Amino acid sequence: MEERDAVAWLYRRAAFGLPPAALRTAVAAGATAELDRLLDPNGAGSAPANDVWDDERLPIDPKDRPSKFYAMTQWLDALAGTERPLVDRVAWMWHGHFVSALDKVRIARLMVGQARLFRTAGLGSFRDLLRAVTLDPAMLVYLDLRDSTGSQPNENYAREVMELFTLGEGNYTEADVKAAAIALTGWRLQQKVGVRFAARDHDDTPQRLLGFDGVHDLDTVIDTLMAQPALPQFIARTVAGELLGVTDEALVGRLADVFSASGFDVRSLVRATLAEGLAGQTAPIVLGPVAWYAIARRVTGAGAVTRDTLSLLRGAGQLPMLPPNVAGWPGGAAWFAASSLVARSNLAALVAATATDAEVLAAAAGDDISVLADVLGLPSTGFAEQSQAALSAAPAGRDRLAVALITPEFLIA
Amino acid sequence: MSPVIGRRQFFRLGAGAVVVVGLGACDSSSTARMPTSAPQLPGTTTPGASAPTVPGATVPSTTEAGTARQAFGGRRLVVVQMNGGNDVLNMLPPADGRYRDLRPTVALPEQDVLALAGVSDMGFHPALAPLVPMWDAGRLAIARGIGFEVPNRSHFVSMDRWWRADQLTEPGWLGRVLDGLAGEPPPLFATALGAGAPVLNGATAQPTVITGAASFKWVDFDPSWLAAMGEGGDDLAGLARHAFQRTIAAVDTFAEITGSTATSDELPGREGGATITDGLAVAAQLLTADAGTQVVVVSASGFDTHSNQLATQAELLADLAGGVAAFTSAMEAAGLADQVLLVTTSEFGRRVAENGSGGTDHGAGGGSLIVGNGVQGGVYGEMDLGNLLDGDVRPTIAPQALFTTCLDWLGADATAVLGARDDALACLRG
Repeated sequence: MEERDAVAWLYRRAAFGLPPAALRTAVAAGATAELDRLLDPNGAGSAPANDVWDDERLPIDPKDRPSKFYAMTQWLDALAGTERPLVDRVAWMWHGHFVSALDKVRIARLMVGQARLFRTAGLGSFRDLLRAVTLDPAMLVYLDLRDSTGSQPNENYAREVMELFTLGEGNYTEADVKAAAIALTGWRLQQKVGVRFAARDHDDTPQRLLGFDGVHDLDTVIDTLMAQPALPQFIARTVAGELLGVTDEALVGRLADVFSASGFDVRSLVRATLAEGLAGQTAPIVLGPVAWYAIARRVTGAGAVTRDTLSLLRGAGQLPMLPPNVAGWPGGAAWFAASSLVARSNLAALVAATATDAEVLAAAAGDDISVLADVLGLPSTGFAEQSQAALSAAPAGRDRLAVALITPEFLIA
Repeated sequence: MSPVIGRRQFFRLGAGAVVVVGLGACDSSSTARMPTSAPQLPGTTTPGASAPTVPGATVPSTTEAGTARQAFGGRRLVVVQMNGGNDVLNMLPPADGRYRDLRPTVALPEQDVLALAGVSDMGFHPALAPLVPMWDAGRLAIARGIGFEVPNRSHFVSMDRWWRADQLTEPGWLGRVLDGLAGEPPPLFATALGAGAPVLNGATAQPTVITGAASFKWVDFDPSWLAAMGEGGDDLAGLARHAFQRTIAAVDTFAEITGSTATSDELPGREGGATITDGLAVAAQLLTADAGTQVVVVSASGFDTHSNQLATQAELLADLAGGVAAFTSAMEAAGLADQVLLVTTSEFGRRVAENGSGGTDHGAGGGSLIVGNGVQGGVYGEMDLGNLLDGDVRPTIAPQALFTTCLDWLGADATAVLGARDDALACLRG
């Protein structure tokens, strides 16, 4: 890839895009330097991690609707405005991987707590992240571990932690689900106290889990999961699918080796993954509505989230904190569902209507469609013939910009 | 994902080739634009003798709608997909002491169980009361213990097996039927309400997915801009272009059908308050408008009752039963009752013994309901608490039996679609 296209690719895939002037600066620095900076924003002198939620607006009340809108709005605004875009992009990835959902969790503060975990610990040790996710209050509610007792274990978390979070289906048995469920009993969630371990609700009987004997509590379960060869493969496949759109076994094997050798350091895995992408290991990815929205907003300088934004994202099929089920959003061509395309088109119009970037607006108002592709950070191949026809059909200006934002070239990274 | 769409075929829709179609069933005299890919052929649009007549309806006079009219002899299929794994034991409480022994807090109280005429070994969850008249009329078949002989207790593997009729390298079993239709069907021919429905995904066919009724319209966006994009391309971008053109036509047709009535955006799916009842109400609108809709999947979630099962499932089943009863009434009022079959699916049943959370974990055999004037009522399959499979209801009737019944209903070749027929749920009349 040309340097400009490499940098543009990096930002669209892993960092929610860049407005035209910032993209030129990044191109001048080069893809390798930008990757370093994105991976270590503190080391590069960027702003420290900022918390974007105010707990005073997040009452512990499952019926409080404003707090739910607030929690989502703040996250979306953070994705679109972040100074640590790769950190936030990876946090967003973990939200679709370690899934909890507000409709069951009900208390927005708990979902915010989980989002904070992904934003602060998402690029660190996978073992630490997995342990923290297991005891995360939202997760304790969502997958019922808070109710799991020695006398009557609840299998929900035990199954999904293996199937969806660490190993993948086929890499455990029903006996393993039962064993892990027993070893994970005893964790409670109390309003004033928070998370606590209640020994009387725990069954400490040693279990045989995934070929290991003596598994009896949270840490021995985590150790056992971390010792499975399937784990680095599964996580490498997840990250490669998310960022590269490529999951062939050779690539996944290389990334899994890097991940294992790093002691399961997520930052090392993400770095290796994006380096593979810059070296050409990349296939088209349909941007989900949230990532697409964040990119569109950053690139055009569009205004903040409103209730209309939320209802359109809901129509598009993706609101933060409301994944459809424990497997997260289906993704891929499922994003071409009719309802989703209608809502995205309407949202594109809303973004275009509030765009402020002077270069973007000038390009949308001008006659040269290749300039519009360039300022929007698209590959230098520009718009295909069909998209050019659509862009020409729309009046120059914000209408044309709206069309540009939902062309296949912009929807597909 | 790696796009594997090389075998997709795209149907070009002539951008200028629109015809005006009157939809007399709507309460307005407005018109719909429906693209057509072929010249209008006189004579192909007349419904066959068995096709339904909607009072006041004008038969859509397009070749595509004519194709639809010929499809399935005019018959329609509605699938209600209850995601999460609906608990069959509380839906159909067995008259077996072991049921209450294994569920000290989650079993239904004996006095609450509705009796089913002619059935001694089980009853109905009280929330299913609206379905009792259908049972009494012999128009409700019950498949209990439905599930794959070797179950998988993962939601996602199990759902995939249901969608693909356990042939995991093949497309959805209904999608295979759609693939076999001649030409491009009308945009709402196969519609998924509430969420996407992979069972309708074919190798080339795709359903129209409508997740919210009120939001399925253009706002400050002129779809003619997108129409100018046209079609083309054998890659993801080509897929997007094709989807945009289909979507433009679907929004037009949907607006004609629902008019100004779609004020609520609540369809089942995930986010707050949406119900099966709402989804089936939209399904009824689509079917009675006679705009070519013949297959509808309504997706609902919330059935994964690991905790707080009694209250949650009661609400969900009341929603299901109320929605099915209202839907059935709407079909009768429209004169379509003989043309519609409704079935329910869920990826598995739940563990017989309760967990400590007032809920139940993933199980094996589940339950399906089959409703319609074409149905011979009865109970199929077994739920034997003395013969469990690892603590779960042992599957006694395969999902393929339900699929065979649906395919027979549509007049499709079940052997060709599924590889083999399964006649264990032969509940269609005549």
